Amino acid sequence: MSTATEARAAAARPALARVAAGAALVLAALVPLLVSGNVADMLTRVLAFALLAIGLDLLTGVAGLPSLGQAAPFGVGAYAAALLGKHVTTVGPVQLVAAALAGAALAAAVGWLLVRSRGTYFLMLTLAVGEIVHELADRWEGVTGGSNGLAGVPAITLYPGGPPVRLAGVLYWYVLAAVLVCAGALWVVARSAFGRTLRGVRDNEERMRSLGYRTFVPKYAVFCLAGAAAGAAGSLWVAQARFVSPADLGFEVSALALLAVVIGGRGSLWGAALGAAVVVLVREELSPQLGGRGPLVLGLVFVAAVYLLPRGFAGTRLRRSNRS
Amino acid sequence: MSWLGGNLVTIVDGVAFGVLLFTIAVGLSLVFGIMDVLNLAHGALYLVGAYLAVRFVGDGPATFGAFLAAGLAAVAVGAAAGAGLAVMTRPLATRGHLDQALLTLGVALVVDDLLSARFGNDVQSVPPPAFLAGSVSIAGREYPSYRLAVIVAGLALAVLVYLLVERSRVGALVRATVADAAMVRAMGVDTGRLVVAVFAFGVVLACLGGVLGAPVLGAYPGLDERVLILGLVVVVVGGLGSVPGAFLGAMVIGQVEVLGVSLLPQYASFLVFGTMAVVLLLRPEGILGRAGGVRGTAGVVPRRMGKPG
Amino acid sequence: MRGLVRRLGTIAAAGLILVLVAGCGSSLEEDQQGAADGPVKVGLLVPKSGVYAPLGRDMENGFRMYLDAKGGKLGGRDVEVVVADEGGGPDTGVPAAQKLLQQDKVTVVVGIVNSAVALGVRDLVTDSKVPLIVANAGANAITGEQRSDYVWRTSFTNGEVAGALGEYVAGEVKDGKVFLAAPDYAAGKEATAGFQEAFEAAGGQVAGTELTPFGTTTNFQPYLARIQRSGAKAVYCFYAGAEAVAFVKQYRQFGLADRIPLYCSGFLTEGGVLAAQGEAALGIRTSLHYSDQIDNPTNQKFVADYSSKYGGPPTVYAVQAYDAAAVLDQALAKGATGDAIVEGLKGVGEVDSPRGPWRFTDGHGPDQVYYLRETTEQGGKIVNAVVQPLTGS
Repeated sequence: MSTATEARAAAARPALARVAAGAALVLAALVPLLVSGNVADMLTRVLAFALLAIGLDLLTGVAGLPSLGQAAPFGVGAYAAALLGKHVTTVGPVQLVAAALAGAALAAAVGWLLVRSRGTYFLMLTLAVGEIVHELADRWEGVTGGSNGLAGVPAITLYPGGPPVRLAGVLYWYVLAAVLVCAGALWVVARSAFGRTLRGVRDNEERMRSLGYRTFVPKYAVFCLAGAAAGAAGSLWVAQARFVSPADLGFEVSALALLAVVIGGRGSLWGAALGAAVVVLVREELSPQLGGRGPLVLGLVFVAAVYLLPRGFAGTRLRRSNRS
Repeated sequence: MSWLGGNLVTIVDGVAFGVLLFTIAVGLSLVFGIMDVLNLAHGALYLVGAYLAVRFVGDGPATFGAFLAAGLAAVAVGAAAGAGLAVMTRPLATRGHLDQALLTLGVALVVDDLLSARFGNDVQSVPPPAFLAGSVSIAGREYPSYRLAVIVAGLALAVLVYLLVERSRVGALVRATVADAAMVRAMGVDTGRLVVAVFAFGVVLACLGGVLGAPVLGAYPGLDERVLILGLVVVVVGGLGSVPGAFLGAMVIGQVEVLGVSLLPQYASFLVFGTMAVVLLLRPEGILGRAGGVRGTAGVVPRRMGKPG
Repeated sequence: MRGLVRRLGTIAAAGLILVLVAGCGSSLEEDQQGAADGPVKVGLLVPKSGVYAPLGRDMENGFRMYLDAKGGKLGGRDVEVVVADEGGGPDTGVPAAQKLLQQDKVTVVVGIVNSAVALGVRDLVTDSKVPLIVANAGANAITGEQRSDYVWRTSFTNGEVAGALGEYVAGEVKDGKVFLAAPDYAAGKEATAGFQEAFEAAGGQVAGTELTPFGTTTNFQPYLARIQRSGAKAVYCFYAGAEAVAFVKQYRQFGLADRIPLYCSGFLTEGGVLAAQGEAALGIRTSLHYSDQIDNPTNQKFVADYSSKYGGPPTVYAVQAYDAAAVLDQALAKGATGDAIVEGLKGVGEVDSPRGPWRFTDGHGPDQVYYLRETTEQGGKIVNAVVQPLTGS
């Protein structure tokens, strides 16, 4: 391949990517006009889960902090939104902000201890936090309704005094808009100088330290940011399900989010959204058709994803390679 | 002194539980030490051992022979499964430890579901061997003889593992590989086969743990998750890659789960993870873990060999 | 390799689009429920995977047995059963219910083992005007504070099953105290509260309460030691599934079974767990609204038919679903829309069930007799023999 052709191919890639992104956005926006209410509900769940996965991707893929505890801020955000909806206000965006703050608060409370650890120990500590928060949700009946969960969450409204959103299509548009805004913010963070610092910490923390960076602060900051994203995702989940229970804080949610990140390709953010779609589809569409053998399929998807998608759908390049 | 008398049975039970946890955790610790692989399928393999006990002992006469058969089957199945897992995770060695961990998680789901399809979702119970079915009296209270037998068997296993790892040539090679794999390879030893052997050994221990623990814990879907979490906590508390650490961690967690629950019942749900969190915050690499020997599990940086100090 | 990944990605995307197209329509319209002609669609929401799968299997068997006996018709109308997997909890159960309502457009939903799922779908079925007949979930709130016109229950209430024992146990222990043990989640708390209320009203005294971590407790030794130290004359407990097996076995292994009588809600010894407990379960007295040993003609025929069809005796879970089909049979005779079925259910009088006659209360739950059962050996097998009906439920 001549250098001129190579250069043209390299220049064409970003343009192609932009066109693909634009087409995907248009398709996503048109969904409510094309599909039935049940499918729109499912896609709404996909979007909420995608936001959780994107936040986790920032934490794990970009910053190199693998977490099996993202269900904790997700659930805290969901409970915050549900409690707000039942007792204070049904305005969706308000619940969203409150949930994001709640998720960030949880992350801030434990993060300053957790990010001192690395690798597998960090993973285990996030698992511990996840399990402890799960137990708390199960036992703190007065606030969380205990193991029966919180039912009767009213439908959200889009602005104070507005009509409750009952149509699946309208709810989908709200969730799509919210996810685009939040994911967009995360994407900006990932592309900024801060994002580059995070990647530096991921690839070689000692070298960053020897270069004079304080690695604790960026790690703590991204941990809180991922917590905020998870909390926001939780409020969107509740907006659709109108029910939250300790099961939403379980280990399974954290593991599925991590699977979504791996399928999608770590570090690319948009890949995590695609991974989330695959995970939710397999769980909700494919598994019930197999009469109880759902976990088997999910396990096979795990194994296949790890082997066949070494860098996920997004195929991120973490280093410049010599091969074209 | 009367407090001790009143709680003696509980303390003894904590030892029994701890010894059972050790058989599960030591394999996990060894595999992580030599390969940096967090084998999340370990709990599922324990469950395989438990179901082997169901298959061979089942409702029928609980003879020692049946248990022996189950044990031998556990060794065979465990060795095959361990070798298989080692081979499966090998291609991922350059890709970071998160991939390997997720692969084993996938395997765990598959194994769990296959067991459920084969044995059903009902809770299965395994009677202890007939001569151990009774109880003995400890400090005036009854205590099942089988659990005492578990202590004896588990301690024997611990001694065996200790001798193998600390006193044999193979063990020396294993420890050397954990510390500096490149150097061992430079000496002409095929670390690849060593890794497979360690993996197989670790999984065999998990399966044997399943057979040993079946009369105590039974076999049912979901038990593997509980066992895995306890095993992970033990390994992390004791220090990843350290056999004495696994034993110490197992003893600590065994007492926490039993004596701790007895003393602080209202916090029972939080004790295990709370202990782990406290230990990690005071000593981030675990009680007997290697200081500075922690490697990241994300990222695509090639495995570092023998990080300094 | 990159080409392969891209191709796989395109295939995945195409698959996604196919799934979407399959669900074509518009999500900007209100959902319509039920078809006017054609068979009545009944959604059977039971666990087919996870820890509750054995209960789900019994429930499906019970429902289908009634349906088959009536030639596949309920209320004279053809019935099409759509089975959905409730899974292990509300994270799978609630979406499964949503799908039954929105995609399969069922006219009525039957089943549900997990109380959180039942409470989670309450608003959904009420807004969609689709009746729900709960065939197991026992939370007090389902027919209590969270009751709805569209939610009916043919199973039980946690508090009532436990409360039925209160007066009896008070009579047995007289001046002695009773220790309460249950897992620390909603059902366990409702059971111990229900027992305590009835027990104390009959003059009893509680020695202590132990709520064990739910789902993760495999070793009950510390709690059993506490019970022994408390000097209680009897124990009331509520456990199910794997915890029931562990508790009963360890209760005997640690020497309590011969010294401290054990009274429980009947789920402790019902179904598959009794087989796993074996002889360790002998002598336990439980309260439940059903036993396969109940001596009435309806039950004798039911047990015989069920055993020959499914190879084993029926459980309370099967009877609950069987009765759900029976009340649906009466209700569907009045009409095939959601509201008509609700009116029909309101008009159901006394149900002639294998458990004995019962009728619906104002809260739409069953007003029924609870039996005192004792695990005894009969003909080489361990069964829940009926001792006497319990009063005060």
